[in-house]
Amino acid sequence: MQRQIPLMLCLVFGVFMIIQFFIPHPISTTAYEIVLRWVRIIAIFALVLGVGSLTMHHSNKIKRKVKGWQFSIITLIAAVITALVGLLGMNVVDGRLIFFAGIGRTSLLQTFFQNFYIPVNSTMFAMLAFYMASAAYRAFRARTKEATLLLIAAFFVMLGMVPIGSAISPRLPEFAEWILSVPNLAAKRGIMFGIALGAIATSLKIILGIERGWLGGGK
Amino acid sequence: MKIFQALAKIDRKIIFAILAVVIIVPLIKPLGIISRASNRAEAVFNAVDAIPPGKSLMISIDFDPGSQAELYPMLNAILRHAFAKDVKVILLGLWLTGMGLGEEALSITSQEYNKVYGEDYVFLGWRSGVLPVILGMGEDIKRTFPTDYYGQSLNDLPMMNDIRNYRDIPFFITLSAGDPGMNTWIAYAQSRYGLKMGAGTTAVSAADAYPFLQTGQLTGLLGGMKGASEYEFLVREKGYSQALTPASQAMDSQSLAHLLILILIVLGNIGFFFIRKTTAFKGEK
Repeated sequence: MQRQIPLMLCLVFGVFMIIQFFIPHPISTTAYEIVLRWVRIIAIFALVLGVGSLTMHHSNKIKRKVKGWQFSIITLIAAVITALVGLLGMNVVDGRLIFFAGIGRTSLLQTFFQNFYIPVNSTMFAMLAFYMASAAYRAFRARTKEATLLLIAAFFVMLGMVPIGSAISPRLPEFAEWILSVPNLAAKRGIMFGIALGAIATSLKIILGIERGWLGGGK
Repeated sequence: MKIFQALAKIDRKIIFAILAVVIIVPLIKPLGIISRASNRAEAVFNAVDAIPPGKSLMISIDFDPGSQAELYPMLNAILRHAFAKDVKVILLGLWLTGMGLGEEALSITSQEYNKVYGEDYVFLGWRSGVLPVILGMGEDIKRTFPTDYYGQSLNDLPMMNDIRNYRDIPFFITLSAGDPGMNTWIAYAQSRYGLKMGAGTTAVSAADAYPFLQTGQLTGLLGGMKGASEYEFLVREKGYSQALTPASQAMDSQSLAHLLILILIVLGNIGFFFIRKTTAFKGEK
């Protein structure tokens, strides 16, 4: 029973969503809207799970004094403060702290975002450029025919995709565009068809109860 | 022989230092390499340009500050274009961590064009769940977003009176740094509801858009910082804005960085070939 009810629900809703797609009747559209609302409500619980999981994970690290546990304290404090600042709608107007004034442009949440989150996140991503340059230098070696082909394609695309490419020769961006529009497109399309067919097959297996891994609990 | 060994094993600290110089110097002293608009960027521009004044352009912020350098200039340039044309704007996002950027962009550009919140633009913000949000908006936007980013009911915003679902949106642009983003909007909003859309993506994911450009599911594409600079160029050229063009200014740095990486790859391969040749020759002996 514990397994049969979820399997039955999966079958009913799976088949309903397939049929509904082809029948734009007001009744089916209304039912579809109700289902979408349910899914939105269920998605909110994922947030609760996420916050719970984050808190548990970092609390355990602090308790066990795992290497780098001090950073877990910072994570938890930052999470609590940010949540409070947003929930209480803290704003600073004329040097005074005001509560329940929303999360608009004068809010403390926006100030935190602009002065903490943006610089930290941008810096992390900007550092990638340096690692990528070093990794490209080390990894792009013409060891085999395939690697040479990849190297040549990367060479023209990298040069053709920046203005200096067109300054060197107007043909370079055209050739880079051709690589993206023809060989890249052919490979991408093949991969996409494969993924789509795989997704359809897996979905059917789940709907029909052949694939039951999503139920969990081993046997 | 030593030279070739050195070419094949340049210390990463040296690479980092040269790259830093190559990026910083053009930012201080621009080279002035002009970035012309590609056909794909022009297609996005023309689609926004074709929206009649009073109708709405919808933009989704599907990125966070990590991709700010590439996608945020696109957002500002598109907002300036729309506001200059008196096109109304609906802003929302699938990435919660990008909402602050939307807030910032709107506060800057709306003031430049004296636009009024609720009449000329609306910021819907973010809702949990990706697919039900995209699909739900195809049925009824107000049911999916009963309130805007600031907690105000959409029924109280005059601009939203004539907008029910995607049928009332002439054009949509996703500024996408990954998943959820461009692919999700194409699969659920474009395919199911026929939403006419364009995309702005990071340079690394621009290649993913090509199949959709060929099928016509995407009207146009702004790829990476180059795409942003192309849109800035078009907005400036047509006289819609004389504001700063950060993407265009940064393109010199990106050009030189690409060139440096290519030179390093060539040098690395020269070293690699000579070492391999010498080793093989010694082995034959």
